[in-house]
Amino acid sequence: MRETSSSYSPLVHGVAVVLTLSVFPLIWVGGLVTTYDAGMAVPDWPGTYGYNLFLYPPETWLSGPFDLFVEHSHRLLGALAGFLSIGLVAAAWRYDTRPWFRTWTVWVLIAVIVQGILGGLRVRMDARTLAMIHGCTGPLFFAIATSTAVMSSRLWIERTALSPQSASWVPKLASIMVVASYLQLIVGAQMRHVIGLTSHRVFMGFVHTHLTLAAMVAGLAIALLFGASMFTSAPRPIARPTTILALLVLVQIGLGLGTWIVNYALPWSEITEGLARYTISAKGYWESLIVTAHMATGSLIISVSTMVSLRSWRLASVQGIREGAWLWKKQLA
Amino acid sequence: MNRLRNHSSGPLVITTLIAVAVSFLSGCEVPIASFSSNLVFAKRLEIDSGMKMEPAVNETQSILAEMFGTPDQPTWPKLLSEDQELAGLVSQQRLTRAAGAVRSDQQDNHFGLFREHCVHCHSVVGNGVGPTSSFLNPYPRDFRMGIFKFKTTPKGKKPTREDVMRLLTEGIMGTSMPSFRLLKQDDLEALTDYAIYLAIRGEVERRLMMEAASELDLDKGERLLDPALKESAPDDYQDQLRLIEETVTKVAQSWTGAASSVTKVEAPPADYPLFGRDTAGSKEAQDRLGASIANGRSIFHGKIANCASCHGNTAMGDGQTNDYDDWTKDWTILAKVDPRDKEHIQPFLDVGALKPRNILPRNLRSGIYRGGSQPVDLYHRIVQGIDGTPMPAVGLKPDNPQGLSTEEVWDLVNYLLSLPYEHITQQSSQVPPYQRENP
Repeated sequence: MRETSSSYSPLVHGVAVVLTLSVFPLIWVGGLVTTYDAGMAVPDWPGTYGYNLFLYPPETWLSGPFDLFVEHSHRLLGALAGFLSIGLVAAAWRYDTRPWFRTWTVWVLIAVIVQGILGGLRVRMDARTLAMIHGCTGPLFFAIATSTAVMSSRLWIERTALSPQSASWVPKLASIMVVASYLQLIVGAQMRHVIGLTSHRVFMGFVHTHLTLAAMVAGLAIALLFGASMFTSAPRPIARPTTILALLVLVQIGLGLGTWIVNYALPWSEITEGLARYTISAKGYWESLIVTAHMATGSLIISVSTMVSLRSWRLASVQGIREGAWLWKKQLA
Repeated sequence: MNRLRNHSSGPLVITTLIAVAVSFLSGCEVPIASFSSNLVFAKRLEIDSGMKMEPAVNETQSILAEMFGTPDQPTWPKLLSEDQELAGLVSQQRLTRAAGAVRSDQQDNHFGLFREHCVHCHSVVGNGVGPTSSFLNPYPRDFRMGIFKFKTTPKGKKPTREDVMRLLTEGIMGTSMPSFRLLKQDDLEALTDYAIYLAIRGEVERRLMMEAASELDLDKGERLLDPALKESAPDDYQDQLRLIEETVTKVAQSWTGAASSVTKVEAPPADYPLFGRDTAGSKEAQDRLGASIANGRSIFHGKIANCASCHGNTAMGDGQTNDYDDWTKDWTILAKVDPRDKEHIQPFLDVGALKPRNILPRNLRSGIYRGGSQPVDLYHRIVQGIDGTPMPAVGLKPDNPQGLSTEEVWDLVNYLLSLPYEHITQQSSQVPPYQRENP
């Protein structure tokens, strides 16, 4: 389907960007819900202790128990993402001329509804397995929202050919990065949501897989960085997020190590006196911050990878069209 | 408009299908129906007795379920709650609060505390083989032998309630055991009750299985509690029941007696030099402290305490490093199984044992003391030893004429506390470490 510059709507793009930005705090607070085991701090859904979600007394919510605060905040942020998704559908159907994009926005709305229902079912059924699934599909929605922001951008719609070009394998590598980082997040979620009945051998398998995927994701991030901005200087819309992605992966490795230490200590702690003197504080401030940040950064890596992937495919296709047009003209001549 | 209809009907159907599929796939929070059996101990008994332990394992499990309930609905045995002395050991209300699924209410009361805080390492049954266990060093504690390392009671005795509470509150430095100091007092009390409950339940399980292996001919169908005898031979049935109840009561009594067996710490005289307090004191105090440390050093290397044999001449934990803790010895050395022999240990690993690891003596120069770093904590470790480990208790005069005097124990404490500040090449010097110039 040919897209024209008339498809670009600042409103649609703006709503998509705001939706994407709103999902990150939603994921962060959702991570806090898991960190503090606050999933059942509000036992009913869609209401909150019998109140309508939006009418729950602020004084109880804001100055009540911390578990209740994070759970109710997560629900309100979820509702905000839902409203923004509705706004996105309305704006797209009013201002965006691309039929496929309009349909896509309906899918975005459905995705946010499904995610909300999953969260609700987790509460209604008191199912930790559903909490884990809900935790895995959250970052998926983050990636969907990011895609929407990218696909509604001027860069995407106007198909501006930018120069210089990044290496030709960047789009494929970026797509592999999206899949690898999402798989990594799923494995991480298995460790984070582990239940007492899980065998230690299964957990060991998760840990080894998580470490292997971490090495893979780090390798991909380095390769992308070289491919997009070091060997060849890629256009800024590719180079900038690729650099951010590499930095995020670096931070994430540090957070991963920190998460292990604040959860389980190091098995060889006596080697490092400083670590051996450390006593883990269950649900402590720094402990919770590090663990939640590790989860949230994982989601951010998926989001930025999605952005790099979509932008690089799009710019590669523009280059392809240009080369195709040049060949066609040459043949005519 | 028609196009919108066409586009939106598909997604709606798919969404509904996904929601239904996910609901079916994940199901509700499945209640944890029962505690798992101690199959590692059963395997050891099977090797010892030459009988198949499966009937005894199953029967023990059903007896325990009857008396102690399930992980979702634990019960404090009726015979214990009816006993005036034992009724207060564990509160049914706190037990209920610590068990079951995790939740909290508007008043910030937390429920399912054991599953929220402990189960990942200690597992549902408290056997120390939780999902994370194989990565932790040392392995998480198995409560079921009723042995706890860091406490104020002599070796072989149970810890006091305060000892367990202290471990929960302070955690264990340098290990994976966290401090739960941010939890409310009620929550800590509930977790303490639940840990004691699991320890008693686990020890009863071991004793019943041991009873079955040593006293019954399981191959001929003999049982610990045969319901058929209720009608045919009621006296025999009552004897069987009494034996089980006595076992439960004895194990519970070992816990209630702990408070009265706390080691009395003989405080040193008020003017006795103590490392830390008197390090920067008067010249006289420093000289006395130096003499105390020097005496502590000779005790460390001497024949009575003989600390150097395990902790090494350098005190860096490099003495005897090939021993095992009692939890490992229970299914290896005691079952005549070589813990280093992969083929021999495999059947035990298959039923849930963790790979044996040597227990390493503490590096006393690191300044990390898992049982607490106050002088009184070190005093307890010296005179009581550490349960479940090769660390022996030193006899005290006058009860043990060959032992140490209280003053000598404090000298040893002074020496241990000075070790992290002593340069390893200066260990034979008589000059106190804090008075030496840096090399």
